[in-house]
Amino acid sequence: MLSFIARRIMLGALTTWVISIIAFLVILLPPGDFVDAYIAQLSGLGQYVSLETAANLREQYGTDQPFHVQYIKWIRRVAHGDFGQSLEFGVPVADVIGDRLWLTMVVSLGAIALTWGLALPIGIYSAVHQYSFGDYFFTFIGFIGLAIPNFLLALILMYIGFKYFDASIGGLFSPEYQLEPWTWEKIWDLIKHLPMPVIILGMAGTAQLIRIMRANLLDELRKPYVVTARAKGLTETRVILKYPVRAALNPFASTIGYLLPFVVSGSIIISVVMSLPTVGPILLRALVAQDVYLAGTIILMLGTLTVIGTIISDLLLMWIDPRIRLEQR
Amino acid sequence: MWHVTLKRVRLLIVLTILFVMLISSASLNAQGGGGYIGELEGPTLVLDPAQWPTEFSEAPMLAEKVAAGDLPPVVERIPSEPLVIQPLDSIGEYGGTWRRAFVGPGDGENGNRINASDKLLFWDYTGTEIVPSAAKGWEVSEDGTTTTVFLREGMKWSDGAPFTADDFVFWFEWMYSDTRITTPIADMAVQGQQGRVEKVDDYTVSFVFPGPNLLFVDLLAGDTLIGGGQSVRQSRGTSYGAYAPAHYLKQFIPEVSGKTEEELNKEATDAGFEDWVTRLHFATDWQLNPDVPNIGPFRTVQPINTEAWVVERNPYYWAVDTAGNQLPYLDRVVFTLAENPQIITLRAIAGEYDQQERHILMTELPAIIENQETSNYTLHLDLAFNGSDAVYQFNQSYDADPEIAKWLTNADFRRALSIGIDRDQLNETFWLGAGVPGSAVPAESSPYNPGPEYRDMWSTYDPDLANQMLDDIGLTERDSDGYRVRTDNGERLRLEIQAVASFLPYVQISEMIADQWSDLGIYAEPREYERTLGMTRAANNETQIFVWTNGGTELLYLFPRHAIPVDPTEAFMGPAFAKWFVTNGADGIEPTDPNLLRIYELFTAATGLDEAGRIQNAQEIWKILVDQQYGIGTVGQSPAFMGVRIVNNDFANIPDRTCIAQHCRTPGGSHPETFYFTNPDRRD
Repeated sequence: MLSFIARRIMLGALTTWVISIIAFLVILLPPGDFVDAYIAQLSGLGQYVSLETAANLREQYGTDQPFHVQYIKWIRRVAHGDFGQSLEFGVPVADVIGDRLWLTMVVSLGAIALTWGLALPIGIYSAVHQYSFGDYFFTFIGFIGLAIPNFLLALILMYIGFKYFDASIGGLFSPEYQLEPWTWEKIWDLIKHLPMPVIILGMAGTAQLIRIMRANLLDELRKPYVVTARAKGLTETRVILKYPVRAALNPFASTIGYLLPFVVSGSIIISVVMSLPTVGPILLRALVAQDVYLAGTIILMLGTLTVIGTIISDLLLMWIDPRIRLEQR
Repeated sequence: MWHVTLKRVRLLIVLTILFVMLISSASLNAQGGGGYIGELEGPTLVLDPAQWPTEFSEAPMLAEKVAAGDLPPVVERIPSEPLVIQPLDSIGEYGGTWRRAFVGPGDGENGNRINASDKLLFWDYTGTEIVPSAAKGWEVSEDGTTTTVFLREGMKWSDGAPFTADDFVFWFEWMYSDTRITTPIADMAVQGQQGRVEKVDDYTVSFVFPGPNLLFVDLLAGDTLIGGGQSVRQSRGTSYGAYAPAHYLKQFIPEVSGKTEEELNKEATDAGFEDWVTRLHFATDWQLNPDVPNIGPFRTVQPINTEAWVVERNPYYWAVDTAGNQLPYLDRVVFTLAENPQIITLRAIAGEYDQQERHILMTELPAIIENQETSNYTLHLDLAFNGSDAVYQFNQSYDADPEIAKWLTNADFRRALSIGIDRDQLNETFWLGAGVPGSAVPAESSPYNPGPEYRDMWSTYDPDLANQMLDDIGLTERDSDGYRVRTDNGERLRLEIQAVASFLPYVQISEMIADQWSDLGIYAEPREYERTLGMTRAANNETQIFVWTNGGTELLYLFPRHAIPVDPTEAFMGPAFAKWFVTNGADGIEPTDPNLLRIYELFTAATGLDEAGRIQNAQEIWKILVDQQYGIGTVGQSPAFMGVRIVNNDFANIPDRTCIAQHCRTPGGSHPETFYFTNPDRRD
């Protein structure tokens, strides 16, 4: 057991290192460099960069150096816990991400809580009451949730919010609290802004999970051990919750690997559309701008979290499902 | 899977834009479009000392500090000869916060332009006459080699240190001349030879050149590397702009700080910077570093790399109104971050901005018009002076495909394609009828405009003549679909138009043009490129036809790159020629076209000419450009770029129409330091 975990962790570290190289390579792969991206961005914003300035910037940022030189320079700093300077923001990468990281986590955890909180009970209800009115009702709602692209939902809800509820548009704070230090009022303001992004983010995931939960549970319910349990006179609640639901939970546990990176990056599209101060838009911006250290750090972080998440989900599966645990021996 | 969704987003946005355009073209036409286009107006400078105020007053927030002894009295803070501004409508009231949007740390220009009076010289509100700004006056020597600038006695940096000729000499000797910090620029040279900066006395500075440089005053007033001002030229890793706060920046530079390079590098790495140069570039940047003294009306209190960029009044600002009130009237400007333009439009129509002209798309006009009353704002449409918002630049140095190159460099081919464009249809569809169709020449009001006949030359729709011309130059054979074929291998002649998504839907415009050209039997394929990739391809001489605005070309000598190929960063008309031009023939390809050579000759000679001579040369250049159609102009003089302005009704001294141009530093030319709130509630 312990050697299994140790092996997983070592493989994980190796994977992370490979991810860092690939991430760096992919970011630098498109023609042009940060300075080109920067010039192009500025010319769209009404500021034009001259030849002299471009040459100057290139030398300053070292973007004209070959791939391996840039990579080694960066990874050396990473090894010392310093992720380098964001070229676009002009401050250390940690400062750029740091402020946004926990806001992202609040939004994402809210969305996950909503997804699971709705999807699990509804999925169980739908499976147990298959083909009932309630099942059809939730199926209908679920399909709508699946079919509407969530960025569209975001746009529509924002417009309705502005038009009929006088809600401030986008962001996580009202303009008057934006600059204030943290107070109870500001936290309350944040809480008031949370539901919309949380609902939109949770919507599509919920519909999907309801379908998975329902299908899995239906499979389990038809198995002989359920009949046996009923025949032994167990209460209906206990029959369903003790074994079939537990078995049907497997897919949830195996998706945790992807949940961890989601928690820190959030949904990029929704965050851009709703102008949320989360990590997602920063990643998009950094990739477009070829801001190598910033983009590289975020991708490395996401990669590491995926690896950690996968390990956790393996352990969880072993804990939930005795069959997997036994196979390991 | 998000890249799939991104494509869907884009498709949706394109569909929405087209749908909105359909509705909006109707609604704008119904109102004649003109209701939102006012008269050009703005504040004026009072240059006659007899009319200057003698008593001065200041903002309450500063008066408090004076009373507390934290700040010297206002008379000691402003120079003995301040810049006196006659506000547009009325003397203002102090206080309030201007709410604005910005799109991220790359959008520093948003605030640079509000601080644009930190230039030595500036243009008046019409954008045609040079006026004093930070400098009170200038003088050019008889032989044209020396331009002398007179500073304001008693003028101070935002931290109270005197602003003198030493700040210019420091910039020149310790920053500009140090190749570790910066590279020499063409603005400081005549015929390739660098000039120098000399101190005459504390308040007099001379720029001395090895030959006559009669263009230099224009360069000082323009949005150039030398004259752009501290805000824009000493931010984002650059160190140009003619002067710098010596007393503050000294500590970051080896020797002059009394420290060695090693010591400063150590300090820099300890502070998290790469070396002393990057630390210096951070220190000079007013957007990032609240500590750097500046001379603009506002200074940063919360840096641009956060959720909100906050700038506050400079207590030592050196301009007053005609009643002697120290400007600016506003306490601060707060720029709030928006991740995309749709959010900006939504917030704008909800009345969340007091004046916003950046990032507002013309395509959103219907929603903007509809919400004017409920959200208490007014829409203004400002018209630009450049000839065309979408110029189809034919790459004259293209060499990847000889057959294509042969046609791109054929004048009659270009002329035929130009008259094959129905500009009225483009104007109605994409400019909502608010633009002026025609060639690429600047507005008729510009002194460089060669005459009204050049607006129409080779620029009016005549498909029959176009077809005839294409037949005459030898493109007679057609394939089964009716498209003309190449003369070398008989396959269809395919032209590629490179479009980059930007403030106008260039891809859709190009598709309409390609459709119009198909009537001439010309097959053109618009291809959309991501902005960086598109610009890089253009710089590498890989594009055939590139569509971009020619904004800025109205002042041909200050910003020539979108009219003639002289700057390799954006020489869409001939990147390899531009390289040849800037390296004096050492690199790139030498043009053989006598018309292009004539353009280079006229352009180079202009620095040694007086104003009349320069105007004549510029007109000559435009005549050649239009006759040759190297760049096909479509529709211009429109509000497409920064010309859709949403202004809160409580905001005053706002011009009905303002100059939108690179050199007007929109909205800088209307002196935002004179804006104020008429509503007392907004002044708290």
